[in-house]
Amino acid sequence: MKLLSSYIKEMKIAARGFYFYIEIGMAVIILAVLLFAVNEFPTSSAKEFIYYDMSKEIKSLMLQEELDDGTLELAEPTQIKMKAALFSVKNKETNETKTYTYDEEIYHLDTYKVFDQKTGKLQKTIIETGSEDDLIRLAWQEKTIGAAVGMNEAGEASTRYYLQGYETARFQNLLYILQNESPATLQAAMDGMTITKLENAELLNTRQSLVPLLVVLMGALMGFFIAIAYIFLDKDEGVIRAYAVTPSTVWKYLLSKLLVIITTVIVSSSIFTIPVMGAQPHYLLFYTLLIVSSFAFSSLGILIATFFDSMSKTFGALYVFLIAMMLPAFSYYVPSFDPLWLRFFPTYPLLQGMKEIMMKSTDVNYVLLFSGVYLAGGIFLFLFANLRFKKTLAV
Amino acid sequence: MISVKNLSHSYGNDRKLAVKNISFEVENGETFGFLGPSGAGKSTTQGILTGLLKLQKGDVSVAGYDISRVHNERFNTIGVSFEQSNVYSKLTAKENLQFYAKLFDVPTRDPMELIHLVGLLGKENDLAGTFSKGMKHRLTFARSMINNPELWFLDEPTTGLDPAIAANIKDIIKEKTTAGTTAFLTTHNMFIADELCDRVAFIIDGEIVLIDTPSSLKLQYGQKLVVITYLKDDQVVKETLKTTDEKDRLRIGEVVNLYEVQTMHTKEATLEEIFIQVTGRGLV
Ligand SMILES: Nc1ncnc2c1ncn2[C@@H]1O[C@H](COP(=O)(O)OP(=O)(O)O)[C@@H](O)[C@H]1O
Ligand SMILES: [Mg+2]
Repeated sequence: MKLLSSYIKEMKIAARGFYFYIEIGMAVIILAVLLFAVNEFPTSSAKEFIYYDMSKEIKSLMLQEELDDGTLELAEPTQIKMKAALFSVKNKETNETKTYTYDEEIYHLDTYKVFDQKTGKLQKTIIETGSEDDLIRLAWQEKTIGAAVGMNEAGEASTRYYLQGYETARFQNLLYILQNESPATLQAAMDGMTITKLENAELLNTRQSLVPLLVVLMGALMGFFIAIAYIFLDKDEGVIRAYAVTPSTVWKYLLSKLLVIITTVIVSSSIFTIPVMGAQPHYLLFYTLLIVSSFAFSSLGILIATFFDSMSKTFGALYVFLIAMMLPAFSYYVPSFDPLWLRFFPTYPLLQGMKEIMMKSTDVNYVLLFSGVYLAGGIFLFLFANLRFKKTLAV
Repeated sequence: MISVKNLSHSYGNDRKLAVKNISFEVENGETFGFLGPSGAGKSTTQGILTGLLKLQKGDVSVAGYDISRVHNERFNTIGVSFEQSNVYSKLTAKENLQFYAKLFDVPTRDPMELIHLVGLLGKENDLAGTFSKGMKHRLTFARSMINNPELWFLDEPTTGLDPAIAANIKDIIKEKTTAGTTAFLTTHNMFIADELCDRVAFIIDGEIVLIDTPSSLKLQYGQKLVVITYLKDDQVVKETLKTTDEKDRLRIGEVVNLYEVQTMHTKEATLEEIFIQVTGRGLV
């Protein structure tokens, strides 16, 4: 009862303040941007740089079949401005390092478009380079993988890949298997490896794939920020001292604040998630993860607020924290960038979990496991904040 | 109602104590005044008694509860008015009281009645954020009565209020304490203390210097004073003389014999004068 009336009171206060409207307003803006400014399918899809290390005749033989059935099509040559460059490349097998130095120049490169066999949709664009050195240079400049396709004595295609150095071991293994094994072993190897992630990622279109990121931003991180703001608004008024001399308890006071934040987060996240995602997400899991994660992050906010006297003094810590918490977004957008240390960031499993939830086939166990972790972490942080709060009451 | 034994409190880790080894008892139904200049440790003591500050050293029991243990239900019979007013600025005066009332498990008073009592009628639907300092203070004071407390903590209830309102607050306190409420009153206003308190403690630099009833203090320390005005060389001269002092007594006789006395009356020492006499310090 006391918790309920505290909650109602906090909702009233929130409705008369501006943080609530900022959050809702931002959610509406996000929805508008997602619906009107982000295309579901990007017009230009992935680019790939390839060097065919073989004679013209063998190359056209190789490509002829695909050109015939229409899945490959010669397109306008691509003009690329090559920047002056100085870099070194390390060969993984021989451990030799070779250094390249280039001046600025402009290339016109043969370009092919690859279409999906079934749907006829554009899948990727292949840009052919004239030499292996050019391939390396382009892969370096464009930060993508370069492939040099050659032919061995037995007439089998073999490929040398040029990677950026941060790709995961699994990704490297996959490339290795792809080029070295016969189709039969390859299939077996692929079955053996769980590459569900790579497959599933394609189930979210460009617009949808932004949703998990925005949910983390508007849910966990905004919740964290608003919690700090609410605590300082209250600290200025000192009402907690009046609360502390009633039969109600400090934790009810704090929890009522968190419940308001969670309510705000639920409303704002729903505003853009439901219209964009429709019926596809696993909503039960979505709200579970949303609630426990915003609970954990806003508890952290409250706890941090107990260590500072004023809002302005928290800004330094706040800034560093928010930037750090956004780092997992890089791994989210560049799946091949997935260093181990990044997984220990609290936003990492949240982002991955939200992505799972948004997809048609959700890894329920993964989401539930981390929901449990957030709940446990949230309770711990909340109890700690409660303790700190009681200690820092003043007359 | 309150029992304090050897209470000490320090805010920092340093040795400087805001409250130094104080002991006192407050009887049921008594109005106990805690008097001292600002910075003496009055609010700190009230903070410990109300559980806002953690008990560091000493034995304290309030309303029958040992305060080193947590008993939230004890607050059902306790009311606290703060030196610094603290109300929700985003809630109206009435909403502030209504919400606060819901936090108690005992019957509470009608918010409107309290608003009327402290002279805020007509302002009940205004956001407390729009209130003046004095109005916020009155709302904070009104809130402390919402649960009909048996034990009432009042930290500087009249400080910073204009005299008419201060008198109004004083009357409200007097009415409640006459009806049997125990009050722990913290103030540096000796007139308020003199009028309201059954007993007073003088506190300075965290130490209690003495505890007694105002009337006994006046008997002990308050020498009777005689104020005489007389004409000397066509000019009015005013002299204040102590009846307890041998020399002064002779001087009174001398003045009466030699000059034309215009007025002559005796005056009782105020609590403030006694405080200065005992502690050697003023009250500001
Ligand atoms: N939160 C605090 N932190 C550090 N020192 C404090 C704090 N509050 C009060 N003090 C110090 O403790 C002493 C007693 O203060 P206080 O109890 O507020 O006095 P009073 O209420 O009698 O004016 C003063 O020296 C004051 O500076
Ligand atoms: Mg004080």
